[in-house]
Amino acid sequence: MAIVMETQGLTKAYNEQVIALDDVNIALEKGEFVTLLGRSGSGKSTLLNILGGLDCPTSGEVVINGRRVDFDDRDALITLRREALGFIFQNFNLIPTQTAQENVGYPLVFNFQKKAVREERALALLELVGLARRADHYPRELSGGEQQRVAIARALVGNPAIVLADEPTGNLDSKTSDEIFDLMRTVNRERETTFLVVTHERELGKRADRSIELLDGRVVTA
Amino acid sequence: MKLEKFIEYLKLSARQVTRKRMRVLLTALGIAIGVAAVVATVSLGEGIRFQAVEAIKDQSDLTLIEATADIRGGTIQLITPAKIDEITAIPHILASTAVIREAYATKRQTYLGVMGIDPTGIGDVIKPRYLRGGQIEPGSRQTVLGHDVAETLQRYEGVRLGDTVPILIREYDENGLPVDEEVDFTLVGVLQERDDQFDQLMLIDQGVAQELRGGDASFDGVLVRADDPDNVFTVVDGIKDLGLTATGAFQQIESVNRLMDVVVLLLAFFSGVALIVGALMIMNTMITSIFERTREIGITMAIGASPGDVVQLILYECLFIGLIGGVLGDLFGIVCAWAINVFGKPFIVAQLGDTFSTFAEGDITLITPEILVLGIVISIVLSLLSGFYPALKAARLNPVTAIRTGV
Repeated sequence: MAIVMETQGLTKAYNEQVIALDDVNIALEKGEFVTLLGRSGSGKSTLLNILGGLDCPTSGEVVINGRRVDFDDRDALITLRREALGFIFQNFNLIPTQTAQENVGYPLVFNFQKKAVREERALALLELVGLARRADHYPRELSGGEQQRVAIARALVGNPAIVLADEPTGNLDSKTSDEIFDLMRTVNRERETTFLVVTHERELGKRADRSIELLDGRVVTA
Repeated sequence: MKLEKFIEYLKLSARQVTRKRMRVLLTALGIAIGVAAVVATVSLGEGIRFQAVEAIKDQSDLTLIEATADIRGGTIQLITPAKIDEITAIPHILASTAVIREAYATKRQTYLGVMGIDPTGIGDVIKPRYLRGGQIEPGSRQTVLGHDVAETLQRYEGVRLGDTVPILIREYDENGLPVDEEVDFTLVGVLQERDDQFDQLMLIDQGVAQELRGGDASFDGVLVRADDPDNVFTVVDGIKDLGLTATGAFQQIESVNRLMDVVVLLLAFFSGVALIVGALMIMNTMITSIFERTREIGITMAIGASPGDVVQLILYECLFIGLIGGVLGDLFGIVCAWAINVFGKPFIVAQLGDTFSTFAEGDITLITPEILVLGIVISIVLSLLSGFYPALKAARLNPVTAIRTGV
């Protein structure tokens, strides 16, 4: 299996005392579903942000699709986010002024896709997450679970190699939480999209292909 | 693709603008008041300029222009026969005639401006109308006096039609001593009052004038009649292009224009102070709006928007606010201009008195398409300028902190 994302000696220190990540070496294979476990403050969010090109490491390297990420090249980071990555956030983070369908198609605006293409792709993905009939609804008209489904569709719209999810079930009740997790697994299997899901729920970790656990910035189990 | 992206961004920004309608409207009103003030004052200035120019066109002989010698770049441009031909070739000239300028004095020391003319060629150019008598016989020592100068000579020297006007022409001999030569002209005509330079002039035959100069066959100027008041400045430019000076009633229009340029600029400047307030309001609104949307901007950047995209999106919002402000400002400005016309005109006409009685008929404010376009352009440019700082501020947001801490 091809490795889509890999870190080598990834370290992030805010100052001499606070070391968020300490020599992290992980690798994700294509089509893998991996959870990133750890207590709050263990460095999982920092790791996710660095992998997503939203934060830069103090030292070490990130390789995505065989290419080293240059954290000094802002344009390259933007292109990386546009083309290789999808994001799912804890509090859904949909744009309130846009309908579900527009939210899903929104990343493609910055990919310079035509409106017709955006609408078609968005609708197909809403179908995938089971929300096609709510395409014209605004986020405030959707439940938390539904909003997160829209967010999953949005993360997939650019056909990313990896979807990075930051506590995607953190704001949902356990039943909805299960549903969302199942949905991500289904998408992962059907589309062979690699998922890296940050969570602090150990139970969910058991349903992943594998779990990586961080403790004080170090990988405990990989 | 570029245009599509632009339209797409405009749509996104338009949606943000419509999201907080009341706030956008109030902000736009701020700049609209400034634009209205500028539109109203500039239209007042333009209206007064228009009326003043119309008054000049009515009251003076605008199409009569005189081209005279001038010094350009160190060389004197004389009125040579070649120059006269060149002047005659300028488009929109109905008739022209070369003249000689002299200054004589009568025996009793009344100083006279003298113009040596071609009695047969002058008709179409100055269109003389005689109060008394008629035109000069070519080549003879006859004279026609302007209305005012004729009255002066009659009152103080008792010169009437048919009388002799004795002129002393002073020259200097080889020792530098003055030698006066007396020349008698017969007064054959008096012109009607014209309200221009001819009221003060003594007209004589140009051949005689050249002879009295000592046989010098040169000219001092060319009188030109333009075919239409609207073409006067074309003719003037033609004359200036030949390196000559143009004089005439049109200079009054030039000075009115110069004066009104300054007046309008000052008026616009002071009324434009309101624009600064409007611009600050836009900046304030945009900063607030961006603060409120911190998280949204963070998300937008996380899912692939570049800082440049964010700057564009926010500037387009300002563009809309500016456009709304400009249009509203133009509308208010038109209303203000109308109010000045209805309520302010009686006052202004009363203050100016009879000289500007033409004002009473027309509008004292004049709204031109240029003023309205200017209003909108000012509004949009100011909005964009005010939006620049908020836009850069938004683009510099760190997506991570924006998403985590944003409202």
